[in-house]
Amino acid sequence: MIRYESQRVSLWYIRLALVLFVLQVIMGLWLSINYAFTLPQGLVDVFPFSTARAIHTNVLVAWMLLGFMGGTYFILPLECDSELYSTKIAYLQLVIFASAAVTAVVGFLFGWTRGKPLLEIPFPLNALIVVAALLFIANVAMTIIKGKEKSALQWMLLGGVTFLALMYLFGMPFYRNLNTDYYYWWWVIHLWVEGAWEIVTASIMAFIIMQVTGVERKVVEKWLYVETGLFLFTGIVGTGHHYYWIGAPDYWLWWGGIFSALEPLPIVLMVVDTWMHVRERKHEIINPLTWYYIVGLAIYHLVGAGLWGFMHTLPPVNYYTHGSQITVSHGHLAFFGAYALLNLTIFYFALPRMKNIRRYRDRAGKWGFWITSIAMFMLGLVFGVAGILQTYLERFLDIGYSTAHLTMMLWFRIAFGVGLVFLLGVVVTVWHLLTLKPVEEGVPE
Amino acid sequence: MTGKTARLIFWLGTLSSAAIFLWMTYDFHRQTPRLTHTDRLSEEVVAGKKVWHKYNCNDCHTILGFGAYYAPDMTKAFYRLGEGNIASIVQHPEVIYRHSFRKMPQMGVTEPEVKQLIAFLRWVGEIENRHWPPQDEKFVTAFKLREAQAQNLNKVDVVMGACGGCHSFENQGRSIGGDFSAIASRITYDRATLIRFMLNPASVKPGSAMPPQNVSPETAALIADFILSLKVTREVRQ
Repeated sequence: MIRYESQRVSLWYIRLALVLFVLQVIMGLWLSINYAFTLPQGLVDVFPFSTARAIHTNVLVAWMLLGFMGGTYFILPLECDSELYSTKIAYLQLVIFASAAVTAVVGFLFGWTRGKPLLEIPFPLNALIVVAALLFIANVAMTIIKGKEKSALQWMLLGGVTFLALMYLFGMPFYRNLNTDYYYWWWVIHLWVEGAWEIVTASIMAFIIMQVTGVERKVVEKWLYVETGLFLFTGIVGTGHHYYWIGAPDYWLWWGGIFSALEPLPIVLMVVDTWMHVRERKHEIINPLTWYYIVGLAIYHLVGAGLWGFMHTLPPVNYYTHGSQITVSHGHLAFFGAYALLNLTIFYFALPRMKNIRRYRDRAGKWGFWITSIAMFMLGLVFGVAGILQTYLERFLDIGYSTAHLTMMLWFRIAFGVGLVFLLGVVVTVWHLLTLKPVEEGVPE
Repeated sequence: MTGKTARLIFWLGTLSSAAIFLWMTYDFHRQTPRLTHTDRLSEEVVAGKKVWHKYNCNDCHTILGFGAYYAPDMTKAFYRLGEGNIASIVQHPEVIYRHSFRKMPQMGVTEPEVKQLIAFLRWVGEIENRHWPPQDEKFVTAFKLREAQAQNLNKVDVVMGACGGCHSFENQGRSIGGDFSAIASRITYDRATLIRFMLNPASVKPGSAMPPQNVSPETAALIADFILSLKVTREVRQ
C-alpha cells in the first residue's frame, strides 16, 4: 500500500509524536494536582508548577510539529508522484529535532529556560530547531521541484510550513520592552495556530479527503483556496484580539474584535466541505474509524477553536475573561479539536498503509476516539466552570484572588478525575495505533 | 465558482489582511514609546525583565494577562503589593505563604535582583493598557490618591491600598497577614508602638514575617488610628 519507499521515514516521526503526546497528558495531570491540592513547600521548591507547565506546553508543540512533518513526508511522495528528495535529510532532521526537544525537557528540570511561555527553550537549542526546520523546508521544496506531478496543494503545504518556520524567528530575540515582546510573541503563537497551522491542516485534510472519498481534485483544491484565503484574511488582522490590554493603540479593539469575530467562518466552510465530500464520496468506506476522525476533526475544530474562541474574543467580554481559566478551557478544546485530532487523522491514514493493512481492526481505536473526545469536552466544560467562577468572583464581584482560587479547587479535583479518563483514552489510542492489526479475511466487521 | 475566482479570493484575502496588519504594526511601533513610557525603560528595568525570565515567573503568573494562570497577574503588582511586599514575598515565599493553600517556590533570588524586578514591575504597572486587569484598578487608584492627596481619602481606601496586599478587611484585601478585625481584637500595642511596628516590624517584634512598610509616618499614623478604632468599637460592643 506504500507507493514510495521514502514514505516510511514518517513512521519514526509518528512514533515519537505519540510518545510525547502521552508525556504531555501526564504532565497535564500533574498540573491539575497543583491546582486541586496544597502541595508541600519542599516539593514546590524542587519541581514547581512553572517547570511542569513548560514541559506540558513545549511537548505539545513538539509532538504536533513532529506529526505535521511526518504527515507531510508521508503524503508528499504521493502528491508529487516521486520519492522524497532525500530520506537522509529527513532522518538527520528528526535526530536534530528530537535531541533538541529531549535536551530542552531535561534542561527545564534544572532551570535552563528563557522564561518566555511556550517559547522557553534557550538559544542554542532554538538554533538547532531552526536548522531542523531549514532541512525540512529544503527537503519538501526539492521534492516538489523534482516531482513529476505539480499541484496547488503542494505549494499550499510548502507555503504553510515556510510561514510556520518564518514566524518562529520572531520569538527568538530578546526584547527590552515587555509590550513589544508580547506583540511579537503572538506573531509566533497566534499566527501559528490561527494562520500557518490552519494552512497545513487545510492542505493535509484536503489531501486525505481526496484520497479516501475519491472526490475530484479540482473541487477539493477550490475549497482549499477559499478556506485558506479566509483563514488568513480573518486570522492575520485577528491577531489584534491579543493586543487589547498590552498597551497598543485603541483601534486594535475594533480591528481585532471584528476580524477575530469572523474567524469561525472558514472553519464553518471546512465543516460544510467535509460533510459534502463525505456525502458525495466515490469510494466505499473501508475503515470507519478514519472517517470518525475526519468528521470529528471538522466538528471539534468548529466547537473548540471557532465557538469557544468567539465567546471571549470581543473586547467587552475579554476585559473580564482575559488571562483566566476561560482561556484554559478554550486552549484545551481548540488544540485538541483542531490539532490533536488532525494529527491522529494523519496517523490513522498513514500507519495502516505503512503496515500494508487495507482494513484494520478498530474496536480499541473506537473506544480511544470516544473516550478522548468526550473526556476532553468534559475537561473543557470543567475549566469553563472554573473560569466563569474565577471571572465572576475575582473580577466582577472583586472579592480577591484567593477566594476565587479556593472555590476553583473543587473543579480542579474534578478536572483531575476527568484527566485520568482522558489519559486512559490516549493510552488506548496510542496503543491501538502502534499495534494495528488487519481484519482477517472472512471475518465480518 | 471557478478555480480562478477561488485563487483570487485566496490572494486578495491574504494580501489585504497582511497589508492592514503590517501598517498597524508600523503604527504600533510609532505609538509604543508613548503608551509604555519608553523614556523610563532604564537599564535597571531591562535587568528586572531578565530576572523575570530567569526564574520563569511567567509560567505561574500572568503579566499583561499572558502566561500561566496559576498565580496572580503581575501587571499591576507594584500597586497591589507595594515595593516592600514584593521584596519579602519573592525572597521569603515559604514564610509568607506558610499557611496558604498555594505555595510559591523558594528560588534564591538575590537582593540586587529583587531591586531590578521591582523596577521592572513598577515600569510594567505604568503601561497604558486600558485599566486591565479590572480587579487591580482599585489598588492603582488608591496608590495614586495616596500619593496625591492623602488628606481627602476614605480611611478604608488608604488602609486597604497600603495593607490590602497581605491583610484583609470586610472582604477586601488578601488573607496572608490576617484580618484587621482579628488583629484589632488581640493587639496590645499603643499608637506609637504600632506606628513604629509598621515602619520596621522587626524592631518591635523580632522575627516578624511582616516586611518594613514603605509608607510615610503620617499614613502610618492614619492606619494605626484605623486599627485602634476597630478595637474600640469592639470593646464598646462587648
